[in-house]
Amino acid sequence: MSIGGLFVILISAMLVNNFVLSRFLGICPFLGVSKQVETAFGMGMAVTFVMTLSSIITYIVYHTILVRLEIEFLQTLAFILIIASLVQLVEMFIQKMSPTLYQALGVYLPLITTNCAVLGLAIINIQEDYNLIETIVHSLGASIGFSLAIVLFAGIRERLALADVPESLKGFPIALITAGLMSIAFLGFTGLV
Amino acid sequence: MGDILKLGLILLLITSITALVLGYANDMTKDVIVNVENQASEVARKEVLPLAESFKSLDKEILNKIINENPNIKEIYSGYSENGDLVGYTIKTATPGYGGDVEVITGISLENKITGIKVVSHKETPGLGANATQPKFQNQFKDKSVSKELEVVKGSPSSENEIQALTGATITSKAVTKGVNLAREIFINNLAK
Amino acid sequence: MKFIDNLKNGLLKENPTFVQLLGMCPTLAVTTTASDAMAMGLATTTVLISSNFVISLLRKFIPSKIRIPSYIVIVAGFVTLIDIFMHAYAIDLYRSLGLFIPLIVVNCLILGRAESFASKNNPIDSIVDGIGMGLGFTWALTLLGIVRELLGAGSIFGVQIFGEAFKPAIIMILPPGAFLALGILIGLFNWIKSRKTTRV
Repeated sequence: MSIGGLFVILISAMLVNNFVLSRFLGICPFLGVSKQVETAFGMGMAVTFVMTLSSIITYIVYHTILVRLEIEFLQTLAFILIIASLVQLVEMFIQKMSPTLYQALGVYLPLITTNCAVLGLAIINIQEDYNLIETIVHSLGASIGFSLAIVLFAGIRERLALADVPESLKGFPIALITAGLMSIAFLGFTGLV
Repeated sequence: MGDILKLGLILLLITSITALVLGYANDMTKDVIVNVENQASEVARKEVLPLAESFKSLDKEILNKIINENPNIKEIYSGYSENGDLVGYTIKTATPGYGGDVEVITGISLENKITGIKVVSHKETPGLGANATQPKFQNQFKDKSVSKELEVVKGSPSSENEIQALTGATITSKAVTKGVNLAREIFINNLAK
Repeated sequence: MKFIDNLKNGLLKENPTFVQLLGMCPTLAVTTTASDAMAMGLATTTVLISSNFVISLLRKFIPSKIRIPSYIVIVAGFVTLIDIFMHAYAIDLYRSLGLFIPLIVVNCLILGRAESFASKNNPIDSIVDGIGMGLGFTWALTLLGIVRELLGAGSIFGVQIFGEAFKPAIIMILPPGAFLALGILIGLFNWIKSRKTTRV
């Protein structure tokens, strides 16, 4: 796989097949932790970190253990356990090593376990038959795309909080409609790759 | 310490029971799944090459040589009539569409005609690219001669070798046509006598 | 009475989609057609009922310290079972739901019910809760699927409703349509609810 091919994977994961806005992965944190740009950024960073790390580990586990023992059907079970324990480990590690970073990211880490973007990414990497380097590049693209979407979305929502919205649309409904409009904008990236 | 051991053991117990149950279920359904997948492909092959009664995969050595030169070729089957005469081939190709590879089976008869095509797997947009699976689109390829390269046009086709693109899904239409053209070339260069 | 209350809870009062806003990923992703949406809802319901039942049975056996990993293992087990069986006996559905079958594991609805209901109640109540919540999720998904399929493709459950003359609003089955349709439906749900309360 050439450098060009890797670049295509990166851009397509980031913009064209944006995890949140076109694949619908990671919607819960996208809607839940996007009231402020600052927290959205924190969530984005935490997800980037966990997604990249977990996709490397799941890749290795899948190819060295599951495939070799012919127990690929345990994939879902193995992946979710890896992700859950990884998140826990990362949380403890950050807490010990850098209390400031922990303060910034700590609250989001437990939420990541049930973020379907992390598990979804691990499964997609296997389905697409990526090698290790492609897996890393694809994960980076996907997580940057996630961060980009959530930060932009939070920026809009900060302003939206001041707007005069009909009573029944307040909160989630208007957030969803906003996300819909953003998703239309991201459709514009179609054909880029 | 004893506490950790106990917790660990309980978790191990739960996980092993789950894995056992899954292993059992997997064993039970393994053959069914293989059968279902085979049957689906067999039905698809029959659909694109109705002249044939039975199919056999092309000789491994020849097939591998073709695939080495054209990585987009996935499978080639020879189709035989009831009394065992070779009547044509079905060629499965995978070409990049809008959302990922589009897999197409093309049936070509020994009379140098395309007998039918079928999109067997794709990740195209529902309602747009996914319409490539509809007979209205696929039937356009029927009875085309293999001698001329097929081209995708928007609007109604004006000559024999033109295929009308799906509305709003030119990329998908081109991907399908590219697959059919590839099958055509393989037939002319490697299979036709 | 309690049964009916438990059931109603999931179907309306605490509807997972419209009120609790749980399990948004599949809600948005597989509602391009009514039949896919309904299949997804029913698959989730099956997992939810089974996991609620088993977790409730084991609630005294599982120490609270390791309850979350245990729940995850149990849920993942049932999801894999569904995945295997769908692959064997419903291949078309298996293909069209794709990635979102294994992702039932991380549907917050299932872990949420395990933690907040099944771990505290007896197996029978937990099954009823699973049925209520699951069907609440299913009807919400199906409704969304119907709306999107009708506007985006002019059909319901694959049956053409409008004639050839109808120009479908393709945007509704593209990703943005999912967000827009769900936003408007939740808005409507809120509106109906607020009218009811003001009348009382």
